[in-house]
Amino acid sequence: MLLTPEIITILALDFIFLFFGIIAFFISIKIVKFWNLNSTSNLQYKLEKQSFLVATIIKYIFIVKLPLFLFFIFTADKLSDVITGAMCGAGVVNSVSFGSAMFFYKILNLYIFGFWLVLHHFDLKNENQPYTKYKFWLYIVGFIFLLIEIYLEIDFFTSLDVSKLVSCCGTLFSAASTSSFSFIFTINKLYFVYLFYAVFTLLILSYILKNSWMILGLNIVYVFISIISLIIFFGTYIYQLPTHHCPFCMLQKDYDYIGYVLYITLYIGTFYGVSGAIMSILEKNKEKFYYNVSIVFNIIYALIVSAYPITYYIKNGVWL
Amino acid sequence: MKNRLNKFLFDFSVLSIFRRGSKNIFIFFVFTLLIFLLSSILFISNSIKSELDITINSLPDITVQRLQAGRAINMPLSRVNRLLAIDGVKAVIPRVWGYYYFANAGVNFSVVGIDQFEDQYRDLYTKLCDKFNFDRLKIDSGMLIGSGIDKILKNNFYQGYFNFVKPDGSLIKVKIDGIFNGDTKLESSDIIVMPSKKVREIFGMKPDEAVDFVIKIANPSEIPNIASKITQLYPDSRVITKEDLKISYQNLFDYKGGLFLALFVISAFTFFMIIYDKASGVSSDEKREIGILKAVGWTIDDILKEKFYEAFIISFVSFITALCLSIFYVYFLNAPLLKNIFIGYSSLKPEFDLPFCFDFQTFSIIFFLTVPIYIAATIIPSWRVASMDADEVMR
Amino acid sequence: MIELRNVTKEFKVGANDKVVALKNINLRVKKGEIVLLKGPSGSGKSTILSLIAALNKPTSGEVIVDGKRVSKLADNFTSLFRRENIGFIFQRYNLIPTLSARENVIVPLIPSNPDSDWLEDRLKELFQNFSLESKMDVIVKNLSGGEQQRVAIARALINNPSIIIADEPTANLDKKLSLEFIEILKKLKNGHNSIIIASHDPLFFDLDFIDRQIDIHNGEII
Ligand SMILES: Nc1ncnc2c1ncn2[C@@H]1O[C@H](COP(=O)(O)OP(=O)(O)O)[C@@H](O)[C@H]1O
Ligand SMILES: [Mg+2]
Repeated sequence: MLLTPEIITILALDFIFLFFGIIAFFISIKIVKFWNLNSTSNLQYKLEKQSFLVATIIKYIFIVKLPLFLFFIFTADKLSDVITGAMCGAGVVNSVSFGSAMFFYKILNLYIFGFWLVLHHFDLKNENQPYTKYKFWLYIVGFIFLLIEIYLEIDFFTSLDVSKLVSCCGTLFSAASTSSFSFIFTINKLYFVYLFYAVFTLLILSYILKNSWMILGLNIVYVFISIISLIIFFGTYIYQLPTHHCPFCMLQKDYDYIGYVLYITLYIGTFYGVSGAIMSILEKNKEKFYYNVSIVFNIIYALIVSAYPITYYIKNGVWL
Repeated sequence: MKNRLNKFLFDFSVLSIFRRGSKNIFIFFVFTLLIFLLSSILFISNSIKSELDITINSLPDITVQRLQAGRAINMPLSRVNRLLAIDGVKAVIPRVWGYYYFANAGVNFSVVGIDQFEDQYRDLYTKLCDKFNFDRLKIDSGMLIGSGIDKILKNNFYQGYFNFVKPDGSLIKVKIDGIFNGDTKLESSDIIVMPSKKVREIFGMKPDEAVDFVIKIANPSEIPNIASKITQLYPDSRVITKEDLKISYQNLFDYKGGLFLALFVISAFTFFMIIYDKASGVSSDEKREIGILKAVGWTIDDILKEKFYEAFIISFVSFITALCLSIFYVYFLNAPLLKNIFIGYSSLKPEFDLPFCFDFQTFSIIFFLTVPIYIAATIIPSWRVASMDADEVMR
Repeated sequence: MIELRNVTKEFKVGANDKVVALKNINLRVKKGEIVLLKGPSGSGKSTILSLIAALNKPTSGEVIVDGKRVSKLADNFTSLFRRENIGFIFQRYNLIPTLSARENVIVPLIPSNPDSDWLEDRLKELFQNFSLESKMDVIVKNLSGGEQQRVAIARALINNPSIIIADEPTANLDKKLSLEFIEILKKLKNGHNSIIIASHDPLFFDLDFIDRQIDIHNGEII
């Protein structure tokens, strides 16, 4: 086990999340069981107050988690100096078999906790608090995911081994890799480019039609196709190397930290899209503000990734 | 969701902090002290690390020592040729050097012997050979010393020469022919350079022996391979590669830093309890005030937000204050007291200044380990206060 | 319109004792009406006021304000209800003693993050109306009783409430200041506000601008 200051920091905060998360978990269970706005009992009165404690805890966890996620990536990147063979965070994260699973939960939790706050906001808009039970159910699920994430993270840090040789991202993200996603490298990469632009066009169309179900579905698809096409195609133009497929290296200084910009815009765009769509369906009312934020950020993302191959073509007259 | 900063709430929070001054001043001082300790420790360890990184990078690819009964002993020069015969070895340089303990100042100098015709194993020596007239050094039987050593010698009334004590107790006077500045401060205050012959004389070494060998290798990827060949050829040798050193230094530092951090985390949690306790103790005045706020239309959320602003302002101001203080303490005052705890060999090595080294990474570590922890400690007490009944005002 | 339907309020005292503060109260106050609740100390006047302002919940019965069942609202929404509808002038003023007059008056508006220019105008207007301009930045604990009360009134009015509630407003004032308060009250009557005053001060008993007087005795209306 490595005991760098970065790891201690992350673990200390995990411990705090766990402590408060458990408190919020037990309150949530009581609330989904006993919540009854029509009751004037002491229990209901207590639960109403405790629901604010849960909301405060979730706000806290979410707000700290956002920058902490970037810090985690930063740390993984830094550890790549110490761990033999790793060139960037990808090698470090994948030095354990559950590395990508851990990453998946980290991102999923950012969406869930963020959406919780949106739901809470709408819940408190109406005196009948129509979403109270939903939001506490959502938290119960979110808490279980949080537990998994923290468990994987602790396991990850304890199994990091400086003397073990890990693969660098060059081999991880190639057809030769044994990982579950290696098959995508065997497919013609242009398909993914077409697919990306097709989904993007549909997404814009769905905003024009203001069809909430379409917006919801397409935003989810957009997250995945964006990441896949970034790895397969757009990333190679960021690196200007046809064989370098890595979603991590672009977070480094050599590429002007463009990765952070890309991932953050993608997160904001799709987060607002998904939450806006769900709330539109629940409220039977178009959540324009959420849609507008979503459109803007999703378009910014598409523009940035498209700019890389286009400028490359203009400069060099050929595609990679 | 409109979430623009509420200036009025901010002002109200600032006023609240001052209105409950004595309680908050206590918290501010303890918290500032804690952050100050943490950041000083991290700054010192970062500085030493970056200093060591430069040193390690200037190290040779492979160093070979000879072991007897587990201790390093001198290497016979006769081994040079057989080592040179290994494929991929570019050069084998015997090193003649040692630590000289200068009792008056209580420090160790590294006395290094070089020969001009040789390939130099360290950039510094190549530079010295270029800069100073080496032949003169030989004729004068003089030496070159780092600027830090010059200071130490002057403090001990040596002007232009130094008397070394040989193993048999007799004195040998060596003239100072030049003073140099190394790449790192550690270098300048540690190294004395003179012809190998002289070094052998000072330490009483035989002419056909060296302390160890430094091996240069053409292709760095061959290093592990060649290292194992050397061990096969001379089973009594200990082969140290640059990579080994780098990792072990890094680990040593992370370990030491980690130990301090673990201690820090414990004290931070103690502090957490103090804050919790302080924030929980609500006076009757404060209770009444919360009642008033709720009676005039503040929701639980509004009061929580106000409490959050208070906690954030206190912790952030502490954070910035502590950061400034520790930058001053570490880089201007050169970290008296704390530095010694950190560098185990500091009592043996001469003094050196900590180079300035501050990065975003360290900044975020200090931030994450302090401000969110403080705010976390206020969550439950704030909620308790915020959910008090509004009919307090009717009593 | 304010409506109390079959309201009973009991207070727990000690482990198993209780005080019945209100018994089966039915009351309606129309929009624009000024109502005086009178009765001896301990008869339940303050309790009625606190129920209307949703500072308390009835043990049984309902309190309905402009069609909203305030007796059923969760804590969070009672605050919002007060912020939007109620201006409460408390018996003990309930100012924050260590803040200035001006800071006290803006307190109810802070959570809604008002526009600064608008707020300045509003403050000026209020402080002028109550001849407090020179006292704006004085810490309220250094103000006289009458001044403190006017600050409390200004605070109650800053959010343009549709219901103004005053609990024993003259209890801590001498005769001259009490009459001044009554003048202020008269000016507040404008046909839009409902005003409810609880007092046993005889000064209020024969004022022609008060529309209705209600006698409370031992928690019952007589
Ligand atoms: N918080 C409380 N706890 C216990 N008893 C209370 C409380 N508030 C009021 N009471 C009781 O309720 C009754 C009515 O009080 P109150 O409404 O203050 O009367 P008034 O304002 O007419 O003087 C009194 O007997 C009083 O003692
Ligand atoms: Mg009373």
